[in-house]
Amino acid sequence: MKKSFLDYIFRNRLPVVLFVVIASFTLTYFVSRAERDGVGYSPDQPIAYSHKLHAGDMKIDCQYCHVGVEKSRHAMVPAVATCMNCHTVARKDKPEIVKLTEYYINGIPLKWKRIHKVPDYAYFNHSVHVNKGIDCTACHGEITTMEKVGQMNSFTMGSCLNCHRNAHAKFPELRDKIKPGPEYCSACHR
Amino acid sequence: MSEQNNGLNTANEDNTPHPNYWRSFESLYRDPKVIEAKAHEFKEGVTDDFSPSGMSNISRRKFFALLGASAALAGTACTDYRDKGEIVPYNVKPEEITVGKPNYYASTCTACPNACGILIKTREGRPIKIDGNPDHPVNKGKICAKGQANILNLYDPERIKAPQKNSSLTFNEVSWKDADNEIITALGLAGSDEIALITHSITSPTMLKVIDDFKAKYPTAKLYSYELFNDSIKNSAWRKTYGSGNFPLLKWDEAKVILSLESDFLGTEGHKVETSRLFSQNRDVDSKKFTRLYCIDSNITITGINSDYRLHIRPEAQLEFVLSLANEIAKKGNITSAISASGYDLNNFAKKYNLDSKILNYLVSDLIANKGKSIITAGNSLPENVHIAVNLLNDALGNKNLYRTDSSSVSLVDHSTIEEFEALVQKMNAGSVAVVINIDCNPVYHFADDLGFEKALAKVPLSITLTERLNETTAVTHYALPLNHNFESWGDAKVRTNVFSLQQPVIAPIHQTRQKESILLSWISGKSDSFTEYLYLTYLKNNWEKNIYPTLNSKISFDKFWLGALHDGIVKTTSPVISYGAANTGSFDESKIEIKNPEGFTLIIKENYSLGDGRFAHNGWLQELPHPVSKATWDNYAALSEKTCKDFGLKDNDLIEVSVENRKLKLPVLMQAGTADNVIVVESGFGRTNSGTVATGVGFNVNSLLSSKSNLSPWIYSNAKITKTGDTYLVATTQEHHVFDDPLVQDLHIIRKIIQEGTVAEYLKNPSFIKENNEAQLPSVSNPYPYNGVKWGMAIDLNKCTGCGDCVVACDVENNIPVVGKDQVLKSREMQWLRIDRYYSGSPDNPKVSIQPMLCQHCDQAPCENVCPVVATTHSPDGLNQMTYNRCVGTRYCSNNCPYKVRRFNFYNFRDHFRDSYQENPILALMHNPEVTVRSRGVMEKCTFCVQRISEARADATHLKRNLKGSDVTTACQDACSSNAIYFGDINDKEEEFYKYRNHELGYYVLEELNVKPNVTYIAKLRNIHSEEV
Repeated sequence: MKKSFLDYIFRNRLPVVLFVVIASFTLTYFVSRAERDGVGYSPDQPIAYSHKLHAGDMKIDCQYCHVGVEKSRHAMVPAVATCMNCHTVARKDKPEIVKLTEYYINGIPLKWKRIHKVPDYAYFNHSVHVNKGIDCTACHGEITTMEKVGQMNSFTMGSCLNCHRNAHAKFPELRDKIKPGPEYCSACHR
Repeated sequence: MSEQNNGLNTANEDNTPHPNYWRSFESLYRDPKVIEAKAHEFKEGVTDDFSPSGMSNISRRKFFALLGASAALAGTACTDYRDKGEIVPYNVKPEEITVGKPNYYASTCTACPNACGILIKTREGRPIKIDGNPDHPVNKGKICAKGQANILNLYDPERIKAPQKNSSLTFNEVSWKDADNEIITALGLAGSDEIALITHSITSPTMLKVIDDFKAKYPTAKLYSYELFNDSIKNSAWRKTYGSGNFPLLKWDEAKVILSLESDFLGTEGHKVETSRLFSQNRDVDSKKFTRLYCIDSNITITGINSDYRLHIRPEAQLEFVLSLANEIAKKGNITSAISASGYDLNNFAKKYNLDSKILNYLVSDLIANKGKSIITAGNSLPENVHIAVNLLNDALGNKNLYRTDSSSVSLVDHSTIEEFEALVQKMNAGSVAVVINIDCNPVYHFADDLGFEKALAKVPLSITLTERLNETTAVTHYALPLNHNFESWGDAKVRTNVFSLQQPVIAPIHQTRQKESILLSWISGKSDSFTEYLYLTYLKNNWEKNIYPTLNSKISFDKFWLGALHDGIVKTTSPVISYGAANTGSFDESKIEIKNPEGFTLIIKENYSLGDGRFAHNGWLQELPHPVSKATWDNYAALSEKTCKDFGLKDNDLIEVSVENRKLKLPVLMQAGTADNVIVVESGFGRTNSGTVATGVGFNVNSLLSSKSNLSPWIYSNAKITKTGDTYLVATTQEHHVFDDPLVQDLHIIRKIIQEGTVAEYLKNPSFIKENNEAQLPSVSNPYPYNGVKWGMAIDLNKCTGCGDCVVACDVENNIPVVGKDQVLKSREMQWLRIDRYYSGSPDNPKVSIQPMLCQHCDQAPCENVCPVVATTHSPDGLNQMTYNRCVGTRYCSNNCPYKVRRFNFYNFRDHFRDSYQENPILALMHNPEVTVRSRGVMEKCTFCVQRISEARADATHLKRNLKGSDVTTACQDACSSNAIYFGDINDKEEEFYKYRNHELGYYVLEELNVKPNVTYIAKLRNIHSEEV
């Protein structure tokens, strides 16, 4: 029987096309995953603030600036006035501090680029996590070594549940203190 | 009919009413249309809006072309797809703000003259919720629906944003400086002509001082104050009986028997929040204290639906009734009658008006048996001689014991009399009034047409209205000057002898507005540039330091005192114990009794429960709050009795013309069970013109039926007439919405135990009579989930619930619930998570009423959860039925399967849909509770038991390193309930007060037979009726 053109399409061409499409989709899906989740996103900020210098080398406590982290849902990005507690005296002549001082004196709001974000319908609460003893680095990575902060972990629902379900494996030092995190919907969504 | 007794409803051919439980006349008479409609979850026409033919007729080709083009554009436009926006911290953070944590400020509500103490919840400087101030001795942490909804007034996009000058019918924005200059010049040139200041009640002593200063500067200034609905008749009667003072406050909580004559003391009269609390303290299943309430009125009110016995008579017959009652009491109780009016006999009265003489006999014996422990109260609308007779009767019964001696109400300025206003209008017409200043009031809308105020106003050289938004009065005045809202203003209030209340702003004025006191102060100074932000604050503080602080004998310095007073929002003072002298028995003038047998119709004009005298007509939440009795929204109507309707061949929604003398108004009919025959009851506050998108054109302006020369009282008119117009007008009532559907079962509410009731006598005899009735615990096919930790539950005491609806509005505010509009309410799409079901039982002429707040029952075995194909509704380990909006795809299966009909579907993005995206205005976004998702089109929603409050309490408990307790959380509805009918807490915690109610012997679950295990317990209502009636 003579092979028809249709046979060629079904036997040879179609599987090849399907394979290429599925393979490239799968590959792209996994390769771009980190990119899509925002991991590695590290934008330039209006002031080149270094967490490595302040939190790492000088060992300033996170909560000196992020005052809401134990009390509130939001950790809070510090007000310009908080920076000026030191910088009215310290390093006044450095160009970045001069810029900062201008913001302060003129009362201009300082627009930091947002790096970490969960969707609006997820109500993440910093204070619960921190008060349970979860370290900032668990989500934010080794901030103390970052010259410029970037996103280290994925902030998807899957990532949240990964910790909530395996809390004891993730935080062996807290094994006796904490229970696995809640998995029910209204813990985050309301 | 025997088949009724087996609970099956066969088609009802003979159209006779069955003495059963019913919600509307349609269900009572088994209207086949309504029965058919009940079988469907969603109203007919639900898909009409989405018909393809009604959609844009763009071709398929063009659609794909556009799709491709927009995709290509999106691809090139998203250069920085990783951008997540910005975080903008404070430049200098105010010390008291922690982002994400609310702050509370004590202030005073100015929504009505009751001046309740409030706590304003602010988030990042934006007020988002109002609660009562728990330290305030009068409202004790509770606040009414108007006070709750007042938050919408602040962010209302239609507030005037800058001064407006009316030049030949168009409004132009002008600067404050120009406006002030022109006004100050005109005031200075007034000469001997009068300057009229018109206000509502003045509750602020410092505002009064500003007015005094104004009068000192401009000596021809004269103050007029008015309220459309007021208690001036009651007070003048009091002064005739007792010489001086105002009608006292009452010890509602100590009364064993209350007789209300046309008085709605739980609704629109007096201090509703305080009265509800005191009244419900006396309906307590815990202490087994029960008052007995008799209502004798012409129309069914909140007070009427809470009565144990109710009779209806026309208001003209009240005097005859009081006199007959007094004679009967004197005769049977051996009391010297205080009123010398022989010839009135209660039995004759009962015969004449066809009243149940058994109930009247109970009333007489109860009043005699409870001498000194009963209250007879007459409604504000009744004529003076009725009030005098009631005062004397109370006096004779020794009921003076129940007049409060610790405190009394204070009225800083008496309302102007109608004669004063007539004189003003005359002067305006004669050209001897130079300036009219309407201070935050709307006289053109409120005043009777025959006063001629509007026409006279046109003859005044300069008229000014200080107001928050445009209204009927601004349309005819030269200037409309924008006022600060309640939450943007400083102030004080004194409405009780034992407390001062302070008002502080919680947000800087959003628009270019000023507060009324500041505006007057800058006119007093005579300089247009004298206004500063602190002008009135300085004045207020000075007045307190010089005039009020010295009278308080405070031991701390003024500065400290002031800060403390602002923090508390109140200053308690000692007031001398009030004593009540002897009643002047001669005050009742027998010769003035005119008993005319009423002819024609009696028209009664009443204050609307939610809109008041129209002050809240622009507030969508209040417009959409169903009327507590009729469940009507977005309209007023003529309420008529069933018999009257039959006599005149009228039915619901027929448009009739009501006429009194030569005044006429067209109104739709609403057949209201329990209305006296030949009485027309209409509520005021509607029919606004020139009042913005929400209010304008809603309902009918019943003020056009008012007369300034009323013969009976300003709110009651005899000899009204009705004529059928032949037209119809649909009134959107929610009473047949979201009903428990089972058209085959009659007396559904009793047979299926939705409503369970008993009497006090029955309860005292056998406390567990409800429990014995309850279903035996059915076995479950699945293993029940062990709820070991905190498990949330609610208990609602139906003895205390008055059905006012304050909780519904509190829920609206807390949970970002949109207003949907009348067209959507007609389609049964109102979005309120909490509804108040109202059932009638017995005869439609005078039904008994049962009230039941209905919300998500958070069933352990929730039927909604089983049918959701996308697992958007699930159960949490703390017993909540969760709704996850971002999972919901809108199948609506859950709502179909919910036996309680408490789920609400977003058929639209209602914020966008209502009144041309009115609610999408960015300024209204500031009002939203940031802890609750704003839902969009296509998702289901329902009561969450305020899960955001639970989450916050849990976070706080973690912060304080302790376990979460049930008492850490209160729901919004519970906070709002002035009669404390709602309890919320942990079902497993035996220590809590809630536990007592959860496991109360009177507790039952609605539809318990379904075994869905609800977590809302209802405490069965007990009627305090005589045991021989049981």
